[in-house]
Amino acid sequence: MTAMEMSAGAAKRRGAGGWRWSGRIFLLLLLGFTVMPMIWMFITSLKTGFAAMQYPPQWWPAEPTLENYWRLIDPSGNVGRDFIQYFWNSIWVSTLTTILAVVVAVPAAYAFSRFRFPGRNFLFFAVLLRNMFPAVVFLVPLFILMKALGLVNTHGSLILTYLTFGLPLAIWLLKGFYDNIPVQLEQAARIDGATRFQAFLLIVMPLSTPGIIATSIYSFIGAWNEYIYAYTFLTRHDQMTLPVGIQRFFSENATDWPGLMAATFMMSIPVVVLFLVLQRYFVRALTEGAVKH
Amino acid sequence: MHTNTGRRLLGLSMAVLSAATMLTTATTASYAQSVDLSKWSPEYVKSIAGTKQFDAAKDCGAVVPNDYTGSVSYWYTGPFEADPQIAHDQDKAFWEAFKAAYPNITTEVQSITYNELLDKFRTSLLGNSAPAVIRLQILGGVEFAAKGYLQPLKPEDIGLTAADFWPGALKSVTYEGVTYGLPTNNETMALIWNAKVFKDAGLDPENPPATWDDVVAYSKTIHEKLGIPGYGLVAKQNAGNTPFRFMPQLWAYGGGALDEASAEPGYKDVWINNEGSKKALQAAYQMYAVDKSVPTSALTNTQGENQAPFIAGKLGMMIAHPAEYAKMNDLASKATGTDKTVADEVVANMRYGLIPTGPDGKRAVVFGGSNIHVVKPEFVQGGKVDEQAVKALICFWDSPEWSTKLAWVGSNPGNVNGFLTDAMKERLDTIKFLDVTTSMLPNGIPFPVIPQAPEIMNIIVPDMLQNALTGSMTVDQAVEDAATKVKAIVDGGGGI
Repeated sequence: MTAMEMSAGAAKRRGAGGWRWSGRIFLLLLLGFTVMPMIWMFITSLKTGFAAMQYPPQWWPAEPTLENYWRLIDPSGNVGRDFIQYFWNSIWVSTLTTILAVVVAVPAAYAFSRFRFPGRNFLFFAVLLRNMFPAVVFLVPLFILMKALGLVNTHGSLILTYLTFGLPLAIWLLKGFYDNIPVQLEQAARIDGATRFQAFLLIVMPLSTPGIIATSIYSFIGAWNEYIYAYTFLTRHDQMTLPVGIQRFFSENATDWPGLMAATFMMSIPVVVLFLVLQRYFVRALTEGAVKH
Repeated sequence: MHTNTGRRLLGLSMAVLSAATMLTTATTASYAQSVDLSKWSPEYVKSIAGTKQFDAAKDCGAVVPNDYTGSVSYWYTGPFEADPQIAHDQDKAFWEAFKAAYPNITTEVQSITYNELLDKFRTSLLGNSAPAVIRLQILGGVEFAAKGYLQPLKPEDIGLTAADFWPGALKSVTYEGVTYGLPTNNETMALIWNAKVFKDAGLDPENPPATWDDVVAYSKTIHEKLGIPGYGLVAKQNAGNTPFRFMPQLWAYGGGALDEASAEPGYKDVWINNEGSKKALQAAYQMYAVDKSVPTSALTNTQGENQAPFIAGKLGMMIAHPAEYAKMNDLASKATGTDKTVADEVVANMRYGLIPTGPDGKRAVVFGGSNIHVVKPEFVQGGKVDEQAVKALICFWDSPEWSTKLAWVGSNPGNVNGFLTDAMKERLDTIKFLDVTTSMLPNGIPFPVIPQAPEIMNIIVPDMLQNALTGSMTVDQAVEDAATKVKAIVDGGGGI
């Protein structure tokens, strides 16, 4: 190897190293950009009402307190009682929405993936069409529909509404996943005597677990965070979900910032836990669904 | 079939009977008129407080018997997490007292946040799931009265007379000559300043600027001497805080949106492009664009953004709600350690003064507060309104005692007899500056009582400010542009 070639190689390595470091710095900045609001949210939740209003702000509270969290989980107080109720309402609505979305989306996506029938492409497009409009466009029509069905002020109105948003995405995600499972596996099972349903249940379902989990996470997060429909359809306190319920930290002339931040932090815990526990499947689902074998 | 028809007839008869009862009830709870609004001053307010005893249970019992059995649903903005503890205590005490006075009336009560209440009410009306009774911000009711959702409700229905309320407050619930609600509480804002900032800038720390021209000068001085904003201008678009803080300035200079500041407003004449309005806008322009003595973020500020700098001594003065001091006191009482020392110092430096006058000595402020309304049965959950239970609740809420206690920290009794109560005396003794904010009440001007008022006040007025302050229009152009828009919607070209 000539000296010139060695020098060129070193320059190339230096260049690659430079790019690598630039990438790391960029990622670090990106991480800071996304994590900082959460850190600030947590720090504010440890402050007293007065400390939260200091200007310039206290980066770490002089007198940190967990009082705001105790208020939220103490069922003997008004705040705790309501917060726990909102929390369970959110869990109930999000879980039921997720289960129903998966139960409907799995066979629907499978049918779109495996069967050839007249109008298949049109139907698939029609399913996706719903998600091409902003959610607020459907607010009034859905309210009128829910009113006609007698579902205003019930969790049923939210679950049905969230399904109309979540299902198209779930079907689309799962279809991509089923498309990547070789049909020969099912054919082999059929040759071995399995019915189509057994082949689906015993061969396709286990292989599509990551896709189902990813779909569930999407559905759950969508329902968990939804605000505008819950705000419109529910007026009763005992029915409210967390995104609407935490409005109580705002009053006419003031905001309880530490209480609001503590409630928001608590609200983010289930989603974070869900994501951490299932992220392995989630990443697999995204990558496998993205590549055609 | 016959049974159903019979039931319908019976129901109809009962509804007619109860409505008739509501309209013809003898005014047995009427209070002797002992508050003279023409004498209003801080001294007068203090002199009458604690001079008369009232018994809400007994007085309302004369309107609706205390053993009446019925039910009522009610929505209001009660105390929430950010409100001082005493507001929670008084709210709790009210419901216990009502239960004791009317043990057989069941209540279905929902406290909904200030920002959500109007939207939720609109939704519930569309879904025929509204409450029988609702308390709304002062001009919230006119929209619903205009749309036919509210029942007429006048003072006599609960044993009171018009003299028991501020005339401006009753005006705010009167639409096309019919009274659609009763005032529960009324308040006016005041000028709040930081005495330490004034002192450091070489200004008199104990006296506020007397006129709006002084505000411009003081703001400039503070900015030049200390390098911080002097006056907390608020000019955000589509935000209620903007007109609440700018209209007093506009009125003081002799301006107005319509003729709401005149003695007999007809809400037809457009004043927003008169000389007074131009002068007020020019003063705001001077502070923002020329002197640069107000927060640079004023164009996107609601009042919330001014609170932290004010508390930290980084803002000299602002228009503030009476609750501001009580809120700060509450925060200081809950602070600990070093925070407590700083908080106590902030409270010690807070001062309240009258809103400045215009060049001709005219002092004006937005007449704020809330009103209580009764919804028509067809829009209520279940399709029925128990008129007697409704009257019992409203009578109790608007009694001198409870009208005062429920407005403890941030407002004043809607029933002016509340100023005679022991509770009022206790408030005056314990809430610093209450006499100042209370004495602004006679200067209160309600926003135009027309359904288009929210659009005029929350959209057109802030837009006018923004157009002038950003320099996209001259002051003259901005007021003319606003006048054209106001005229268009008043003449029927817009509105809610």
